[in-house]
Amino acid sequence: MNSWSSFPIGEHLFLFSPMIALIATMLVIVGAPLVAGRGSRTIAGVAVMGIAAGLVLSIRVAMHVGRGTSGFSLQPAAGLLIVDSVSAAFQIILFLFLAAVTYLWWIGSVETESNAPEFFILLLGSAFGMALMVSSTNLLGIVVAIETASLPSYALVGFDKRDRVAAEASLKYMIFGAVSAAIMLYGASLLYGLVGSLSVVDLAHYSITKFADGPPLLLIVGLLCFMAGIAFKISAVPMHFWCPDAFEGAKIEVTTWLSVVSKAAGLILLARLVSIFSGIIDSPRAMSILGPLAWALGLMAAVTCTVGNFAAYKQVSVKRMLAYSSIAHAGYMMMAATAFLHPATNQYATPASALLIYIVIYLFMNLGAFGVTAMIVWHEGNDRIDSFTGLIRRAPWLAVPMVICLVSLVGLPPLAGFLGKWWILLVLGSTGTPLAWILITVLAINTLISLYFYMRLVVVMTLRDDGRPEVKCPIGGVALVNACAAMLLIMFFFAQPMRAAADRYANSFYSTSSAKITQGDAPASTSIQSLSVSDSDDTLFPIYVQRIPPTQEHR
Amino acid sequence: MDHILSWTVFVPAIGALLCLFAPKRKIRGVAVITTVVALLLSLTLFKTFLGNGHDPSSVFGQRYGTLHHVERAPWIEVPGKFTIEYFLGIDGLGFPLFVLTTFVSFLACLASWNFDHWKNNKGERAYYILFLLLETGMLGVFVSLDFFLFYIFWEVMLLPMYFLIGVWGGPRKEYAAIKFFLFTLAGSVLMLVALVAMYFYSATAIEQAGGLVASVYRHGVNITHGTFDLIELATNPAIQASFASKTTLFLGYPIAPIMFMFLFIGFAIKLPSVPVHTWLPDAHVEAPTPISMILAGVLLKMGGYGFLRVCYPIFPEGGKYWAFTLATVGVVSILYGALCAMAQSDFKKLVAYSSVSHMGYVLLGIAVMTDTGFQGAMFQMIAHGVSSPMCFFLVGVIYDRAHHREINRFGGLWLTMPRYGTLATIGFFASLGLPGMCGFIGELWVLIGTFQAGAKYTWAYPMAILAASGVILTAGYILWLIRRVYLGKEREEYADYSDADPRETLILIPMAALCIAMGVLPMQTVFNYTNGTLNQVLAHVTGGQ
Repeated sequence: MNSWSSFPIGEHLFLFSPMIALIATMLVIVGAPLVAGRGSRTIAGVAVMGIAAGLVLSIRVAMHVGRGTSGFSLQPAAGLLIVDSVSAAFQIILFLFLAAVTYLWWIGSVETESNAPEFFILLLGSAFGMALMVSSTNLLGIVVAIETASLPSYALVGFDKRDRVAAEASLKYMIFGAVSAAIMLYGASLLYGLVGSLSVVDLAHYSITKFADGPPLLLIVGLLCFMAGIAFKISAVPMHFWCPDAFEGAKIEVTTWLSVVSKAAGLILLARLVSIFSGIIDSPRAMSILGPLAWALGLMAAVTCTVGNFAAYKQVSVKRMLAYSSIAHAGYMMMAATAFLHPATNQYATPASALLIYIVIYLFMNLGAFGVTAMIVWHEGNDRIDSFTGLIRRAPWLAVPMVICLVSLVGLPPLAGFLGKWWILLVLGSTGTPLAWILITVLAINTLISLYFYMRLVVVMTLRDDGRPEVKCPIGGVALVNACAAMLLIMFFFAQPMRAAADRYANSFYSTSSAKITQGDAPASTSIQSLSVSDSDDTLFPIYVQRIPPTQEHR
Repeated sequence: MDHILSWTVFVPAIGALLCLFAPKRKIRGVAVITTVVALLLSLTLFKTFLGNGHDPSSVFGQRYGTLHHVERAPWIEVPGKFTIEYFLGIDGLGFPLFVLTTFVSFLACLASWNFDHWKNNKGERAYYILFLLLETGMLGVFVSLDFFLFYIFWEVMLLPMYFLIGVWGGPRKEYAAIKFFLFTLAGSVLMLVALVAMYFYSATAIEQAGGLVASVYRHGVNITHGTFDLIELATNPAIQASFASKTTLFLGYPIAPIMFMFLFIGFAIKLPSVPVHTWLPDAHVEAPTPISMILAGVLLKMGGYGFLRVCYPIFPEGGKYWAFTLATVGVVSILYGALCAMAQSDFKKLVAYSSVSHMGYVLLGIAVMTDTGFQGAMFQMIAHGVSSPMCFFLVGVIYDRAHHREINRFGGLWLTMPRYGTLATIGFFASLGLPGMCGFIGELWVLIGTFQAGAKYTWAYPMAILAASGVILTAGYILWLIRRVYLGKEREEYADYSDADPRETLILIPMAALCIAMGVLPMQTVFNYTNGTLNQVLAHVTGGQ
């Protein structure tokens, strides 16, 4: 359709243009202080322009890829990066959230911040890493993407260098990140040694075909080690210890940032890996590897949400409580990922579609909850639960959206949080395996467990009052949190269009339909052969583009 | 297709919206008018159930699934695979409870007219908004026939109720409110698991039957995938065969007993029956009077309604499997509730425990699965739905004056407040089950039903005897209560109390009148509208034996 995207190189540039926009913005912010000074407003203005450009570009890419208007899509085969409709959808979410966080920063810190250029470079840098994460299909590429997302995040958490708590949180976060990156690299090297390829597609294929007696234990160990790095990113138990500390120590804008998209990127990456692995599902010995993988993931998800919910009980700091809440929600979303490992998943609700819906809903819930917390922090100077006492009288326009967001986080209708859980339940139910029914029960019971600590905050806000003065809050912030709360109501009643849109994006999620690896000893697609490690070095990390005839594209 | 049900359900929600914008002094008026409109709208439904004379077949049809005022439209669908419908309809199960809800809501709204809270300006607007949203949730439960929709309405009630108890309640309101919330949600999450399971197991059943099964209760409709339609789940032969089969397994166990239990626990918490009843005394005691009326009058009935609408028609095998357990739980509820009531010194707590005891009859009547038992259970629900709000309001009237509820500190109130005393006696006698009053018919029918069940279950006889002895306990604690509070010498500290004022009398008289009318004319007030459907459900459950 676009004349300039009909050339392959133009296509590349076009498909990666949102990421390029991020890099360009970072570069401009590096140079801007030389020309326009270090004023917060100037720098934020530049950042906003970059984000707006990135948003427009990501929407165009999404229209291009997701709806298959030009009948082509990037095939990763053994390649390094992939742009498909889900990664495009994630980029839209990413830019929207980036805008929201910038807005929050503008309300709270624009007057006081003296290091705005550094802040935005780090913020955009981690955003770039996340965008890479959802597009990677290569072991090494994934490691690089995760590190690109993580390194700026460490610095962001400890951004205020005079704050000892932040510095400690940052150090903890970094040590955890370093260790998990090491484990991940170790896993990647094991896998590379076993199958002789860094491509996840090859890995999935060879894990079946190379080993006549079923996959060796070392392969499972390698996979689990590699998963540890992703588990760190989505703060799944037992890699979750950094999360509460980092969330508590960081500035509230940074906490908001880390709580949603950072985890969302990790989850989509996880879903992509699992989904690629599910490509081997028709092979006769597939379950010998998919079975343990599904149970391992399922167990991790169940433990993650249960631990998160129980640990949130006793928290005094609201940021810390929301950190545990985000751990629990990561557990729910991981459950959806386990459903990939079953053939019947496309029938009722594809896991990818459920995951996308959950991420969007989760974004609004968390943005609302953190937005209100931010305004309390700015007013009271701390985020202790006592600071919320009597909020319904002191600031009804903060208390009501907060209640809505919290109840939505519990997952009660008629709020969107329920729908998020509902689609995950359906995805699990559609597989019909014992694991799925166990996870459904665990998820349902966790809803109950989580009720208590969310309601603890509701109780403090609505039922208690110790005569504190009214909260003066910026009107822009009030508008933001109320818009979030309103969205949660609206999204519930417009479940149908939301579902339809998510299906459109999820349907061309790579490898659920487009690149199923068929059984047999020879790799199915020639591209896999041509890109095995015996090839020359320059094809080790290719960005591989392949045209699909329009008929294969849905619609 | 008319929209009478939708209007009735959503009129309170519209009223809530109006309350949001109404000027401060008009809020109460708007709320009362809204409940009146809802009541009148629901009363028009009598036309459907009366208009056809005495021929039940024209109202109830030949089999389960004859509905009136049906509204259905797809809400969320993935074409060809998955449909959630906006599906409302009414039959003999929902109709009396639907009318009861609008009736009790109206009276409770009147009862909120002069809260003490209003004098110190505490959240009148929020109260009425939550109250009206609660009414929408309650009404929705009784008419929604799509299980997903049912579940939504069921959950919608939770939050308003939580705040109504938590903000406007008594001294231990926080504890009571969160306890109510946790218990009810515990039931709902089990229901949620069952909701998902029922959908996918029905989908499997349809698939195994060839992917296309003609609907029995809807002509010319073919079922090609799983369904949330409660009537379809109960009447579709393929689905029913699969649910009844012992080879349909859920985590290694036959599906019917497991799903029945999941649903049963959810509904039993609401009912409430004994091991899971502990939220009720706390919630009732701490809730403000009008909310206690709603809790006792309507919310408890949802448990019984759930048994009759969801558990038994869809998983009849589960009902047979658990019959003994359920009947035992019912009898224990009757006796334990009565004994607890007898031990209370708090007036309101006594009434609360009497609810546990009375709802035990509902459970027993349903569990034995005889026609008299089912009818008795239904009647008992309606009777209790009238008499117990009345009792709670009676407690509220005296609490407004005395500001305490210690039974032993009262005495001789009949002399001080003759009008109130007379109405109180009617209310408590109705609750006691005096012949000629509503409580009697329900209890008697349940007991007869249990004896009848002796034909198939020998354990039914001792159960019936134990349950009958519960009647004596009930008489014991109620008569003792009346003696301590209303009879005896006039006490000085209460001598200057004014008698029930016109508003209070206006609230009490309709309930008193119904208590007597239902006792004298049980057919014309309840049975005529319910028996048709109840018998169809029973015929379906027992396989027409």
